[in-house]
Amino acid sequence: MRRLLLVSAIFLLAGPPALAQHEHHHATPPLEDDSLQWRMPPMDRNMPMMPGLEGALPPVRPFLAGQDQTASDWPEARPRMVVPLADGDTLHLQATPVRRSLKGRPFLMYGYNGQYPGPLLQVERGATVLVHFTNNIELPSSVHWHGLRLDNRFDGVPGLTQAPVHRGESFTYSVYFPDAGIYWYHPHMREDIQQDLGLYGNILVDPAAADYYNPVNREEVLILDDILMDEHGLIPWGEDAPTHALMGRFGNVMLANGMTNYQLSVRRGDVVRFYLTNVANSRTFNVVFGDAPVKIIAGDVSKFEREAFVRSVPIAPAERYIVEVQFNTSGQTAITNTIQAINHFRGEFYPHVDTLGLVTVTDAAAAPDYADTFNALRRNADVSADIDAYRAYFDKPVDKELTLTLRVRNLPVAIMMSMEVDTLYVPPMEWNDAMPMMNWLSTGTQVTWVLREPSTGKENMDIHWDFEKGSVVKIRVFNDPRSFHPMNHPFHIHGQRFLVLSLDGAKNPNLVWKDTAVVPVGSTMDLLVDMSNPGDWMAHCHIAEHLHAGMMLHFSVHGEGLPQ
Amino acid sequence: MCLSAFLLLLFASPFEPEAGICSPEYYQIDLIPTKRVPEARRAVGIASVAFASSPFGIAISSEGHYIYTVTIRIDNLSDSPEGRYVAWLSTPSLDSILRLGPLSAARTARGQVDWNKFLVIISLEPDEEPLGPRWQGPVVLRGMSRSGFMHTMAGHGPFQQEPCATFGYY
Repeated sequence: MRRLLLVSAIFLLAGPPALAQHEHHHATPPLEDDSLQWRMPPMDRNMPMMPGLEGALPPVRPFLAGQDQTASDWPEARPRMVVPLADGDTLHLQATPVRRSLKGRPFLMYGYNGQYPGPLLQVERGATVLVHFTNNIELPSSVHWHGLRLDNRFDGVPGLTQAPVHRGESFTYSVYFPDAGIYWYHPHMREDIQQDLGLYGNILVDPAAADYYNPVNREEVLILDDILMDEHGLIPWGEDAPTHALMGRFGNVMLANGMTNYQLSVRRGDVVRFYLTNVANSRTFNVVFGDAPVKIIAGDVSKFEREAFVRSVPIAPAERYIVEVQFNTSGQTAITNTIQAINHFRGEFYPHVDTLGLVTVTDAAAAPDYADTFNALRRNADVSADIDAYRAYFDKPVDKELTLTLRVRNLPVAIMMSMEVDTLYVPPMEWNDAMPMMNWLSTGTQVTWVLREPSTGKENMDIHWDFEKGSVVKIRVFNDPRSFHPMNHPFHIHGQRFLVLSLDGAKNPNLVWKDTAVVPVGSTMDLLVDMSNPGDWMAHCHIAEHLHAGMMLHFSVHGEGLPQ
Repeated sequence: MCLSAFLLLLFASPFEPEAGICSPEYYQIDLIPTKRVPEARRAVGIASVAFASSPFGIAISSEGHYIYTVTIRIDNLSDSPEGRYVAWLSTPSLDSILRLGPLSAARTARGQVDWNKFLVIISLEPDEEPLGPRWQGPVVLRGMSRSGFMHTMAGHGPFQQEPCATFGYY
């Protein structure tokens, strides 16, 4: 009844019908490129402007990189370099301003060591390296080593494990790599800006055993991202607080390894192992390799118990997946993000495809030919044996519960009303920014995303859990579909590893160690966390704008010694 | 007007939310009797949707559709001398129909679907005839996926001047 009354209220309060609803799309005054003025992000011209929002701007100041510097002084960014590091080595890592070229246009962005993405660090499992980080950008920063069970003092979380690193300052991290796989590093301060502007890089941790993975013809480390721009340049970020606080900042230009034109050339029959990382602020990709067969090998922190053939790879922000792909057909195969997008105004789904890269398959035959190995699905006894020690805990009672929800205040009335109507259907996953203007106008000053502990009523950073090292903790996460604007959340736990035991009560038949898992709207996910690493840690939603809108908690693991 | 009707339908669930965890209650589909079959007039049903098994938790097709396992359960449905009850899934435009098969003795059926919006249909089919690609007998219960309730904002409130029919709604 409340909803019926509210809908009726919309009919009464909406005021006179909108005139020239599309006008605003064309009303942006001429701007100089990269002008530090708010302008509305691009949106589908079939989507009418919401009456009452014409001329509305986010209630925060706009931010673009390098406004206090001379752009011509900035170095031109160069592609990523591979940096092999042995145990005990030292790496110097600088966050610097760079000039970038995207779609033929220059932009002022950030880079680690002047590269896009940041340097690919290649290390052996069990190694420890020193990273001497210097911040040369105008914003305070830090480096978080995502997914690594490293010494807590070097987790890179300002306010919890270290002080912010201001421009001109340095911090030295001792980084330990206990698990094989693909990991990444990024700032843990205003990553909605800094990460979006290019501060991210991968770490490839090589396994000790030579046959840990299948033999393949080549390996590709592929970082997926998107960025939001229009014909005038990058759409400014919020200086005081993030914009796009409701759904996160979706980009409209797709990037693979920082490029809009990622290309790869392989031979017919080649098997390529892709190490995929999603570093986008909010977008979950559904990665499709054309008609090429795809085999899933590993997730964030381990291989799967069993390999499996898949048709696509849905990968949420901060997740990583390792897949093997065999390219059997000569010609070009597009790597795409293939989704069913939603147009809320029309009440419709529509198919949408973004090309992330192109693979050219030559007529030359693969050598060696790994077809037989590729077509066989391995059972990873080493993974199952590792997990065996935790199976006794699978049916234990839930230790901690969280409900994911949000609160809003002072949003424009038109947005509030429209969002209420929109609750007729909320998709489990938001694959696209279906309400670009409303999303842009919502900031971290108006939106609070909430991790709520039902048993205590505590929320976000008021939640503090204590565990002993070696404890195995079951956490139940429920993404409340009845909240004001429910959305999927990639839930990340620092410094530990966990298993997704079940989704909506259905037991997971093929386990993999993870550090980030996406919780769809309406779903309940049970996580079994191996509290193996002492220290003070965070857990949070990895949609950058949701994190800054409050969606984080902290916990302590008491004890001594790093995971082995 | 049509929006309000949708809202009324939406909150007319004959079932209380199930206790504990199960398929997300938010996406469950209420099955409403048509009253065309006497034995089914008191019938109530529900179709639960859950992600099909996937290494990623969420199950997504290469076209980007959610892949759901649909589990149908009907209560208060008496046997009919006219035939057997059969479960179907269909796109809203009825251009694609998937036969799940006869309801079990416990009045359940199960299948998988990857359509954006879909209908759940229970029909009464003659015992002696083989089942065809679409139902022939009367529809006994029907329901629509939660996604089917998504409706254009055209013609409503702030968008009153946008003609609803332009977007395929009447």
